[in-house]
Amino acid sequence: MWRFAIQNLVSRPLRSLLALAGLSVAIAGMVGLFSVAEGIDRMVTDTFSRIPGLAMMQTGAPLPLFSRMPAGWAKEIEQLDGVRVVNPEVWSRVNLIEGKRVIAPPRFLFGTNIATRKKLETDVYRDAMVDGRFLDGTDHNQLHAVISRQIAEDNNVGVDDKLSINGDDFRIVGIYHCGQLMLDVSIIVDIDLLRRQIRFDRDSVCAYYIEPDGTVENDVLVKQIRELFKGREIQSTGNIAGAIATGHPLIDLLLAIQNWLAGGTRASTDMATDADAEPIEVRTANDWAERFDEFSTDLNLFLGVMTGIGVVIAVLSIINTMLMSVTERIIEFGILKANGWGRRDVVMLITCESAVLGVAGGVIGCLLGWIGTDIINSTWPDRLQLYASPSLLAFSLIFSTTLGIGGGLYPATWAMRLSPMEAIRRG
Amino acid sequence: MNKPTPIPAIEIEELTKEFTIGSTTVRALRGVTTTVSGGSFQFVLGPSGSGKSTLLYLLGALDRPTTGSITIDGRKINELSRDDQDRFRRHEVGFVFQSFNLLGNLTAIENVLAPFLPIGVSADLRQQADHLIEQVGLGDRRHHRPRELSGGEQQRVAIARALLKQPKLVLADEPTGELDHKTGGEVMGYLRRLREEQGATVVVVTHDESYIEPGDKILRLLDGEVVSNTQPGKSPAEFTPGE
Repeated sequence: MWRFAIQNLVSRPLRSLLALAGLSVAIAGMVGLFSVAEGIDRMVTDTFSRIPGLAMMQTGAPLPLFSRMPAGWAKEIEQLDGVRVVNPEVWSRVNLIEGKRVIAPPRFLFGTNIATRKKLETDVYRDAMVDGRFLDGTDHNQLHAVISRQIAEDNNVGVDDKLSINGDDFRIVGIYHCGQLMLDVSIIVDIDLLRRQIRFDRDSVCAYYIEPDGTVENDVLVKQIRELFKGREIQSTGNIAGAIATGHPLIDLLLAIQNWLAGGTRASTDMATDADAEPIEVRTANDWAERFDEFSTDLNLFLGVMTGIGVVIAVLSIINTMLMSVTERIIEFGILKANGWGRRDVVMLITCESAVLGVAGGVIGCLLGWIGTDIINSTWPDRLQLYASPSLLAFSLIFSTTLGIGGGLYPATWAMRLSPMEAIRRG
Repeated sequence: MNKPTPIPAIEIEELTKEFTIGSTTVRALRGVTTTVSGGSFQFVLGPSGSGKSTLLYLLGALDRPTTGSITIDGRKINELSRDDQDRFRRHEVGFVFQSFNLLGNLTAIENVLAPFLPIGVSADLRQQADHLIEQVGLGDRRHHRPRELSGGEQQRVAIARALLKQPKLVLADEPTGELDHKTGGEVMGYLRRLREEQGATVVVVTHDESYIEPGDKILRLLDGEVVSNTQPGKSPAEFTPGE
């Protein structure tokens, strides 16, 4: 039966190829689109699996870049049980590298306290050094930076070379390579230097990275930190918004909105505070992953709609192909019925034919999608990380086969109802 | 190949068949009552539109009559379920058509095996098909497709396809209609051999009376009604249709 079905398809090569092409493109598109979401999932999972500590930021800030809080809180956090190291961070967007405007992929100046950072047991950047050295005490207040291999390659610089960042010439002391878009965007510098360079309030930080010592559960530690700062107000000095300003209109607008939402325009520091208000959020790697999952769900919905359009076209193409094929072969079905083929046998034959189209379209589509994501990843390694997982490919193949079978059912049912006598008479 | 038991007579009683084409009702058969004796070589003659082919297709359970019944081997075939009718056609009836009706995608041997594709083709069945292709003189053309065969060769493939079932009933609709007289005679010869060797009942619809031989039975139809059912060499008074 299968051989007969394949022979029937081969005997109508143009029509079969067109149906196959329609389905293959739809499935390749589906693989390509969902590989975006899978790539993000994978990147997020991989990134946060390398950061075992807690991130403390201002409530509502989507990223450290949009957060600020007093620098003095570090000492209070250090006093809590279960805290090994508290590392303050200041973040700023890079607008110019070597005089060229940086838009995509984005680059960030990441100011870190070198002294406390050295105490970290796990440091995602220090552990990923591939050339030179990580920052040490000699780099304090110096225009010294550790950059990613991607940034080094993009600007054709190496260790001990100079790199102009936002108009200042930094000396490259080391190069790291995490292999992750979300991590390889950072240019790591001394926190005090960065504060000075971007005129950031020296009594503020963007975020704290807290490394637990393992004696207290993370959830308990998070609760303790939140309790510690409950009811406190983050004082606005008015110059933070300006300090964080990046020069990028969209980012600056977001910053302004964020600043306003957080009460940043209020210069007063003695405003009444809500005793239950929580000025900070403490996020574990899981929290970050969940946040991205929400984003990923929305993205999947969008991608599903996009794929749906392609799939509808592919299904119509299969139905059309099979319907035309069935119409042309009415006599053939009459002959087969005259020779003892039952209605179910005819349905089976047509379904086999459309299933072959479905499987072949699925295989070709998956292959095209997989190769496509590979080409895209290697063409823009610092911009996109698509991932067509084996489960996505398997799902696409099953989906394509189901589409093929489903697309053939209507023509098959139509053929089943034909009277063999009428069919043969037409012959 | 084992010789099957000849089937009893085919009893046709008050058979009518009406078709509706648009708003017009066409009465193709108008109360046909006759008997086809088992193992006979039965011609069905009549002008175009007389209902010959309709009768043939009803005998092969390709359609259901409007009224009346067809009884073969004790079974009213018009009352069989669809599945039983499919089985009846697959195992007991061999069809031969005027336009050969081979499947263009399949080779000669595959066409012979086509009725059995849904239930699977065993090695034994394939061997029988090979033997039949040899028997109809197409041993060296078994892997040729229909378009590579002449009309006569295609009709021989169709006959081999009918023979593979070792049918009790062979229904041939104008089997020589698209062949020259010599090739038509050869095809008719194969059908006669089939009747003799397998004891099958052969019903042939034709316009061409030149193939009729003594001993054949002739059913004449006109406007969907039986005009006569005779046997050459016997007067109508001597002839009993079911004998």
